[in-house]
Amino acid sequence: MATEITLAPDLWDATVNPEGIVANWFFQEGASVGKGATVAEIMVEKTTIDIAAPAAGRLHISVAKDGVVKPGAVIGTIEEG
Amino acid sequence: MSSNRIMTVSRAISEAIAQEMRADPRVFVMGEDIAKYGGIFGSTAGLLAEFGEERVRDTPISETGFIGAGVGAAMSGMRPIVELMFVDFFGVCMDSIYNLAAKNIYFSGGHYKVPMVIMTATGGGYSDAGQHSQTLHATFAHLPGLKVVAPSNAYDAKGLMISAIRDDSPVVFMFHKGLQGLAWMASPEAAATELPEEAYTVPFGEAKVVRPGKDVTIVTLSMMVHRALEAAKALEKEGIDAEVIDLRTLVPLDRKTVIQSVAKTGRLVVVDEDYKSFGLTAEILASVVEEDPAYLKAAPRRLAVPDVPIPYSRPMEQFVLPDAETIAAAVRGTLGKAREAA
Repeated sequence: MATEITLAPDLWDATVNPEGIVANWFFQEGASVGKGATVAEIMVEKTTIDIAAPAAGRLHISVAKDGVVKPGAVIGTIEEG
Repeated sequence: MSSNRIMTVSRAISEAIAQEMRADPRVFVMGEDIAKYGGIFGSTAGLLAEFGEERVRDTPISETGFIGAGVGAAMSGMRPIVELMFVDFFGVCMDSIYNLAAKNIYFSGGHYKVPMVIMTATGGGYSDAGQHSQTLHATFAHLPGLKVVAPSNAYDAKGLMISAIRDDSPVVFMFHKGLQGLAWMASPEAAATELPEEAYTVPFGEAKVVRPGKDVTIVTLSMMVHRALEAAKALEKEGIDAEVIDLRTLVPLDRKTVIQSVAKTGRLVVVDEDYKSFGLTAEILASVVEEDPAYLKAAPRRLAVPDVPIPYSRPMEQFVLPDAETIAAAVRGTLGKAREAA
């Protein structure tokens, strides 16, 4: 089963800053990650927000480093089992 | 927790500090914007939330005051980490650094220790002008009584920070802004590394051969390690096998590793992002020649910032900073191949 890594719709105020970017991935494509591990950080203006793994499993990155994102975006998935 | 994570230098530093703060109640942090903001280059991110205002203290803009307070705290049994936001600002607080921190162990005949870390941001390349872009490695390495470290990657940054906190002497911890892995400043990919979860130390005075080679030795540290590796990769295509040494610490300086390498290759290029005259590049050359001038088969080369303030203008700044091309040209020069850059 795959769990999506979704940015919360209210992660930041999109009326002020419509877009953010994926600033860093802290694991490589295909790495196994624990639930709750900080897998990525999102930058909005000059602030960064840590993104935690919603499940344990194998990481698949769908928005690469420096990719533009909006609140609610899916940036990757975690393949469980 | 897994240890296959690839962490940035800034996160490696803040993790090192957090782990030492958990283990030792004497460790605390002070500086401008280090608490609520997490350090303008991210080195203290997350610490305020975990440890509170008593141990993670935002200070007024008075470096001479809070670095002096750090020296007093260290001599009273605490283990402070103070952040000098940019190394370029040392001018306003040098008395606290070199007459207090650096000398008080000697002045007290060894009766007092000064277990303090002065953490500071270095380096240019991002158009921040002459008073925000220097490395000033030699300015601090020149002064007896200070240990000086300048890591090139996250693994070394964590281990050197833990060593610095545990050391009973004052340590100047110089992190390069362009290596921090900040979202708003480009960073070489290799600066972020796999980072063990547990606390570990990287010993002072041990340089690392980051790329073994047989034709020429490139000695450098901090950001220029990445430029040197880039140059070495380009030179490989021309059949030139360069050895790259990351000094990691300036004081103590691992002369032995450098000398052994030059004894093998016979050729030496030293690269530093600091000013050229009276600096690290000359110190490395002198160390080799003092040991045995016959090691060198060709005149050595030095690459550093020509003796001018770092320009704000991007083309001018890029011109004065060493890069992969100028390093490669210097290497070819030692081998008597092709022409060197003007």
